Formats: sequence, C-alpha cells, structure tokens
Amino acid sequence: MEEIKDPAYFKELAHRLMFDLSDAEAADIAAEFETLGKQLTLLESIDTTGVEPMVYPFETPTAYLREDVVDHVISREDALVNAPKVRECHIVVPKVVK
Amino acid sequence: MATMKELKETTTVRQRVEEALAKAHASQPQLNAVVTFVDVEEQLTGLNEIADGPFYGMPIALKDNVCTQGIRTTASSKILDNYIPVYNAHIVDKLKAAGAIVIAKASMDELAMGGTNLTAATGPVYNPYDHSRMAGGSSGGSAALVAAGVVPFAIGSDTGDSVRKPASFCGVLGMKPTYGRISRYGIIPYSSSLDHVGYFTRSALDAAEALKVLAGRDDRDMTSSYEPVPDYAAALSSDVTGRKVAIFKNVIDALGNPQVKAMFEKTVEALKDRGAIVEEVSLREDLLKAILPAYYLIANCEATANHSNLDGIRFGVQQPGDSMEEIMIQSRTKGFGSLIRKRFVIGSYGLFVENQEKLFRQAQRVRRLIVENVAEMMKDYDILIAPASSDVAPKLDDHSRDELSDGYLIAENHMVIGNFTGYPSCTVPMGMLNGLPVGLNMTAKAWDEQSLFDFAAAMEEITGMKDATAEVME
Repeated sequence: MEEIKDPAYFKELAHRLMFDLSDAEAADIAAEFETLGKQLTLLESIDTTGVEPMVYPFETPTAYLREDVVDHVISREDALVNAPKVRECHIVVPKVVK
Repeated sequence: MATMKELKETTTVRQRVEEALAKAHASQPQLNAVVTFVDVEEQLTGLNEIADGPFYGMPIALKDNVCTQGIRTTASSKILDNYIPVYNAHIVDKLKAAGAIVIAKASMDELAMGGTNLTAATGPVYNPYDHSRMAGGSSGGSAALVAAGVVPFAIGSDTGDSVRKPASFCGVLGMKPTYGRISRYGIIPYSSSLDHVGYFTRSALDAAEALKVLAGRDDRDMTSSYEPVPDYAAALSSDVTGRKVAIFKNVIDALGNPQVKAMFEKTVEALKDRGAIVEEVSLREDLLKAILPAYYLIANCEATANHSNLDGIRFGVQQPGDSMEEIMIQSRTKGFGSLIRKRFVIGSYGLFVENQEKLFRQAQRVRRLIVENVAEMMKDYDILIAPASSDVAPKLDDHSRDELSDGYLIAENHMVIGNFTGYPSCTVPMGMLNGLPVGLNMTAKAWDEQSLFDFAAAMEEITGMKDATAEVME
C-alpha cells in the first residue's frame, strides 16, 4: 500500500460511485485504510510470480452458449412493476437533454 | 422442539405450520429475526398436488436475499425496502415443489456484507441464548429462527462464513455445500466467485435430506454443476471408524480462549475413541494471514460491480432529484448503510486501473496459492476440523477485536478457505460454554458432502446436541 489517503479523497471516490459520504464516514475510511494497509502488506509480501489469478474455484466447464430460443419470458407489466415511475410503458426520469 | 423428521411423524401440516408462525411472532420482540411474515394459506392449499417427502408441509424460513415472487425481498437494505420480485429463486421453486411452506423472510446483514447481523435495515438480530449478544451474520435471522425452535430449516447464504459462523454462535448445524452444488439463480448477489447457498438444520439427517432436494444443475446459474446428486440420507452413517481427520493446527495455535481449546481437544479424543484416525496438519503461515485481506479485496471488488444496478431508477426506493445523477446519488446515499458505502469505496479502490494488478489480481493469485496448498494439505484426509469461532457469540457492543492479531486473522477468519476452494464446509454444535454454544467447523473435499453429514451424525452422538434449541419466549 502506498501513502494513506485523506478523507477528501474518499469523498471524491464515493461520488464517482454515485453516493456521498459524510465527513465522519470519510474520516472513518481514512482511519480504516491504515489497518487495511497493514493487512494488504501481508498480501503483497507473498511471491506470486508465475501464478495465474483464480477467478472461480473449479476449472470444469459449466457454461455454454445455449440455443437462441426465447425462454423464461416475463410480461412488460412485470418488467416495469418495480420501477418507481412509469408512464406509457417507459420508466420516467428527469429530462436528460437540457 | 423437533427435527423435520420428528415433526412429520408427530404433527399434522396445519399444526406445525401454525405453531411455527405463532412462535415466529412471539419471538420477534426478543430476536428481531424476521423482516417479513409470509401468508401461508395459499401455500397450504397448493399442497394437495404435491407428493410426500421430507419437506412436505414443513414450515421454513428464507434469508431475505432469496427472491420470492410477489413477496417483498429487501436483502435487509433500505434501498430494496419496496422490492417485490416477479420471479422465484431456483431453490424456492425446488422447495415449494417439495412441499415446503415459507413462513418468513429472515433478517441478514445488509446485502449479506457483514458477519454480525448488526447492519440490517430492521436492526440487530439477537442471539436466542443471550439477547445481549449477536446471532452472527450475515445469515443471522435464519440461524436464530432455527436455534429458537421456530422452524426446523432455514436457507442462508455464505460468502465468507455467513452460514457457518452464525451456526456456531446459535448452536445449530450450518451447511455450505460445494461451489456450484446449489443454483444461485434468484439470490441477490454479493461476490459471485465466493457466494454459496447454504442452510441451517438441527440434525444431520435433515441436512442430508435437504441437500438432495436443493442440489443439481440449473441452466439459469451457469456456475452450477453437472455433478450427480447422491442420496445422502440413505448413505448416512455415524460410524467414523478408519476415517481420516486432519486437525487445522495453525487455527488451534491461534485460539485465544483456553476453554474453547479444551472443548476442541475433548472432541478430538471423542472422535479417536470412535475409531477415527486424527492427525495434525498446517498451512503456510504467510498464506493464512493473507486470507482475510485477499477475501476483503475479492469480495468488495465483486460487490461494487454487482450492486451498481441498485440506483433507484429501475427498481428500489427512489429519492427525489432534479437530474438522473442526483436521483441516483440521493437514492444510493440514503439507501445504503454506512458500512456498505465504505465497502464499496474499498472495492472500487481495488479495481482502479493503477491498483488492479497489485491489489485485485494479486488477491486472486494468492487465492490460487491458498487453494493449491489447502488441496495438498487435505489430500490424505476425509475432513479438516477446527473450532468455527475462537469464542462464544460476542456482545452486541463488543469492538475489542485486534484486526492485526493472529487470533483475528487466523482463528476468526479461517472458514473463508471454504469459499476460496469451493469445498463443502459445515459447522455443527461442539458444546456449551457458560450457557452459550460453540461450533466445530468441518471441511471436506469437493463434492464430498457425504463425509460432512457422516461426521455431523457422529458429532450429534458425541455432544448430545441434536435438535438443540434455546428457550426465548417468556
């Protein structure tokens, strides 16, 4: 881990993830990064030269390209039933083009 | 209380379902384990067309990250407070086809991202044995409902130890089968390479019967396996003569509580007395200490990506705003708890282009090294054993842990190995300390759930804790 980041850095990072952090939460993360940084040193210290990243536990193939046929269909009403604002079968959002 | 098998033999369907519902309501003030109570009448009527079996007319609970058609599914997060799925998870279809009656959706840590069940939108779940202590998480509501004798079976999910840790704190059997054994279609995800469906029971036989119903290939979860599903219950045997058991020595050395160590040693002697061959094994210490940081990175990086769809636009609770961006930011800020937002920040940090190689990819490489070393360590043994927790359930306000100590890095987090390897792993009651349960964790090789059920049956005979329940109602 490199240098410890300040709370403002984490607030900016959160904003890019489409949420906000309070001043106290950002300060908490900055403090937690100190512990995390020490834990990550344990990770970084392990020699992984020539080791491939493991994405899933098993190598046995379980995925395949299925036939291009319609399957497990839901109705348009069902597809929209959980959307907070719907009009004429569309999800309503504020005007995007000003 | 009674196990599923005993309930079937001694009660009518309506009796056991109504009794479970009554207990669920009566225990809610003490446990706070239920998010949503489910209407049972339609389910009871539907039983007429279902063949008899272990789940026939059996009251069960589902963790609230399991999608249930027409029934609110919140994953204990405010952002999903109004979410009503239009489809069932694969396991819900399977359980209903077997006659199970869902009586409740159970509380959990928000989006399954925690180990305490203190972060649920509906507040903490309280331990049935001591209401000033935690039930553990993230599947704490499910564990508490089984431990309190409300239901004999509940679904959970396990990404780090989220079935096996609350099972230890609540004194029930918590099973996490092999990765791919049970379809995850319709389970609100946390970390796709680590998430498993698991469950809680109060007997080894019930656990064996349940896996036969839940397991099997599902094309809608492309990580689910084609491995055949054996009849575990028919093959169940508590005779462990000649079976080979490996003691996870590093974990024992890292235990802080001598009473837990003594309880474990007594268990080992009992297994030896029953003819098991017990030996000690160790894992490289540097790899063991890297388990938690590797897990933290992989899980949070995957979670950040998985939960980017929770924005209040297509579903979920929407906050007002003058632009799409403002709606999303407000909805996600108010919809996610503090801990979740912090974890997303850490996950995102690990995925930055400049950090991805040295953090996320390094974690995945270390994962492979851990998996290879565990496979080598276990190759001559049927199961690997260690206490599931280094102590009894902590108090609700206990913040005393030292996150850089061996006791925390190793003794409290070793069960993540079951998620890294995908190996089946299960916690069973090992004994009681001052009136509180402590569990034994057992891990077998891939697809060998049978060994876990067999040793669970042996442990029931050793501890006498089959069907252990806590009295929570006054």
